[in-house]
Amino acid sequence: MIPAAGYVAALAGFDRMTTARLTSLLAGRTPEEGYAIATGEARAAGPVASLFRRDPELAERWRADGVRRTAERSWQECLDADVSVVLPGDPDFPAQLLDDPRCPAVLFVRGDLSVLDARRVGIVGTRNATQRGRETAAKFGYELASQEVVVVSGLARGIDGSAHRGALAVDGSRPVAIVGNGPDRPYPKQNAELWNEVAERGALISEWPPGTQPDAFRFPLRNRILAALVEVLVVVESRERGGSLITAREAAERGVDLFAVPGSLQSRASAGANQLLRDGAAPATDVTDVLVALGLDQRRAGRSRFDSRPRPRGDEVGLLETCRAEPRTIEALVLLHDMTLGDVAMSVARLERSGWLRETGGWFEAVDEWADLA
Amino acid sequence: MFASISSAVLFGAEGHPVSVEVHVDKGLPAFTVVGLPDESVRESRDRARAAVMSSGATWTSHRITVSLAPSHGRKTGSGLDLAIAIGVLIASGEIPAESVRNLAFIGELGLDGSLRPVRGVAPMAGAIGELDLVVPVGCAAEARLVALGQTRLVAHLSELIGVLVGEAPWPDHEPDPVLSDPEPVPDLADVRGQPLARGALEVAAAGAHHTLLVGPPGSGKTMLASRLHGLLPALDRDRALEVTMVHSAAGAALPPTGLLRQPPFRAPHHTSSSAALVGGGSNTLRPGEVSLSHCGVLFLDEVAEFGPKVLNGLREPLEEGVIRISRSGIHAVLPADFLLIAAMNPCPCGGGAPGACRCGDAALNRYLQRLSGPLIDRFDLRVNVHRPDVDEFLDNSPGESTAAVKERVVAARELAWVRQGGVNSALAPNVLDQFAPLEPSARLLLRHEMEHDRLSGRGYHRIRRVARTIADLRPVPSEKVSEQDVALAIHLRTSIGRALQIGRAA
Repeated sequence: MIPAAGYVAALAGFDRMTTARLTSLLAGRTPEEGYAIATGEARAAGPVASLFRRDPELAERWRADGVRRTAERSWQECLDADVSVVLPGDPDFPAQLLDDPRCPAVLFVRGDLSVLDARRVGIVGTRNATQRGRETAAKFGYELASQEVVVVSGLARGIDGSAHRGALAVDGSRPVAIVGNGPDRPYPKQNAELWNEVAERGALISEWPPGTQPDAFRFPLRNRILAALVEVLVVVESRERGGSLITAREAAERGVDLFAVPGSLQSRASAGANQLLRDGAAPATDVTDVLVALGLDQRRAGRSRFDSRPRPRGDEVGLLETCRAEPRTIEALVLLHDMTLGDVAMSVARLERSGWLRETGGWFEAVDEWADLA
Repeated sequence: MFASISSAVLFGAEGHPVSVEVHVDKGLPAFTVVGLPDESVRESRDRARAAVMSSGATWTSHRITVSLAPSHGRKTGSGLDLAIAIGVLIASGEIPAESVRNLAFIGELGLDGSLRPVRGVAPMAGAIGELDLVVPVGCAAEARLVALGQTRLVAHLSELIGVLVGEAPWPDHEPDPVLSDPEPVPDLADVRGQPLARGALEVAAAGAHHTLLVGPPGSGKTMLASRLHGLLPALDRDRALEVTMVHSAAGAALPPTGLLRQPPFRAPHHTSSSAALVGGGSNTLRPGEVSLSHCGVLFLDEVAEFGPKVLNGLREPLEEGVIRISRSGIHAVLPADFLLIAAMNPCPCGGGAPGACRCGDAALNRYLQRLSGPLIDRFDLRVNVHRPDVDEFLDNSPGESTAAVKERVVAARELAWVRQGGVNSALAPNVLDQFAPLEPSARLLLRHEMEHDRLSGRGYHRIRRVARTIADLRPVPSEKVSEQDVALAIHLRTSIGRALQIGRAA
């Protein structure tokens, strides 16, 4: 006997399926009836009928999908991937989503949804983040998690991944990830370990069934779920038209407190975050700002980690200080400090060796104690 | 009647002697050329006939057979025109046969009888041997460089006929003596700021290290690259001659003195074909850009935009210093010992400071993968070039001039020559400890790089060679390579691209 959720899992993986279509298929019907209508076994009526009328090709495709994605096979896929299928009627379906205007028709979950009962803060940002940005994300993730706040993010490259890494560095923390593709398909691949760890310790949530590819259109949809699930959203770095701005807008529409980490005017990676500040987001210069918004005791915040790196000496101190303000090229260091190329190269190599500086594409950035989590 | 005239043809960058044998006898009027002529040689018939008639001489109405000996090997080019015309005139009794004893002829004829220069006179003159050589006036300088016998300059066929029948002395077409003013080379003083990139050019010139410049548009990569050949020492007589031969064979412009004394600089466009770059062509085997930059600099701007086949064609010449080309029936070995400097953007969008790049990983990967690993590996120096800041740009104090840097380069090259009899980039791994010993702190730095997987075995040797060159360039060169030298060498071999797909290790 295939449970009703199996039919929903099958339907969610149909070609060109959207949240709205899935919702209207399941409205007032059992999943089995919805499935029969979608595959053409039963007569469509109401909105579904008009959908097929407008787009006859869709009916064709869904009929073919019915052969490919039987409820049985889709259910088995979920069992194999250890993914639970949660429907809006189920007791553990997140309450925050139920009265959302665009409530998902189904959630595919790895892990335990009960972690959402704790205080929740979202940390999002650009995928092409700077070293500094990733460090900030890791720091916020770590410090929030050590206050037993659930860190919610998108597990993408850049800021998202660093926020999760920071949160996971705290023993017993239970971070939550909302992803835009199948929960069994780590994307990007280099974050595979991170995915599994988040799923094991917290929860990994997707609107799409196992096996779904990471298509570009799914990520903005994912962002609305993330925005709906958090109490406070922190944008660490974002470009002028970054996906994090979509999350921010969705959050603003839902009355979620919005924070942005201020960045340099020169940094394109911070352009979006600065724009949010101008539009009224609160500046997050420290994790305390976020904790105050949550009404949590902030005196215990800022628990710092032990820094084991050897202290810089001689010329290195000045060079490091210059790189702290903004990333510098070796040429700029030579000119600013009026040193020879060889001397700068040697000092910079030493700083790099001891972990104070990091080079990317010829630019040297100061590394703070959060770098290993960033 | 029979005549045999000495001439030569061009083959790759080498000249080959050819005897033009002409037989004129009774028979139906005809004019055939045998001995594997290509289309350009067959056309000689019409040019020779028209030129002879325009010069006031009589064209025989007998049957004419021309044989180009030796009969194997394809003959190509219009340089045989003159020899064929003279041959026909002798065989038909218009000119006495003894008048051409000890003479060889190279030149193209115009229909009005005028003589036109052809490409490759320098190597062809070398193939003639001790004969006196008759060439068009335009080829004077090239021919004189190489010819062992006298060089006779002729402007028109009628002049030459006059000389050969004994009516006139050799004409005097001495070209005006040109003041050998070497072409101005762009000066390094024009480059503002950019100490790292300048340093890299100096190191590249001193140690003959192939160099890759990586930087956003407008950072001055092209400007820097076009100043590299100015830093190289002038060519000695032997090398100058080698280079001149190749340029002559390719029909490239030569200085008025005929001899190329400055290292050449070639910058082929990125749409260049493989044949244009390495040389070739169906019959002619024209030298390509790699041969034209022999003993000089080959600059590939926007190197990632070159076709992958074209770039892979560079690997053999980079390895061996020569290029071997084989076509059906033709084989040639052309010199191709050049210093490669290439430039590219760090990513498709141009990049810039951290956080400025808008490229996706996939696009970035595609971009970087256009350069194959083995080619990337040939670059001893991989330098990030940055846009100079406004202050540097507005600073009016000029940088060091080419002349000042060249002095250090020449001294460093001499030092290397005395020490190991070659340039530093050619140091074999097994002699590195002998010629480039490391100070303990330098060894420590290299060890750290290797332990952190940022340096492979190959990269290790390359960095040691570059560090050797850096040490040679110091005001007081030391026998041992210091930590500073190694640190700078590491900076001059940076990672490429934001995502570190091609790390320092490679």
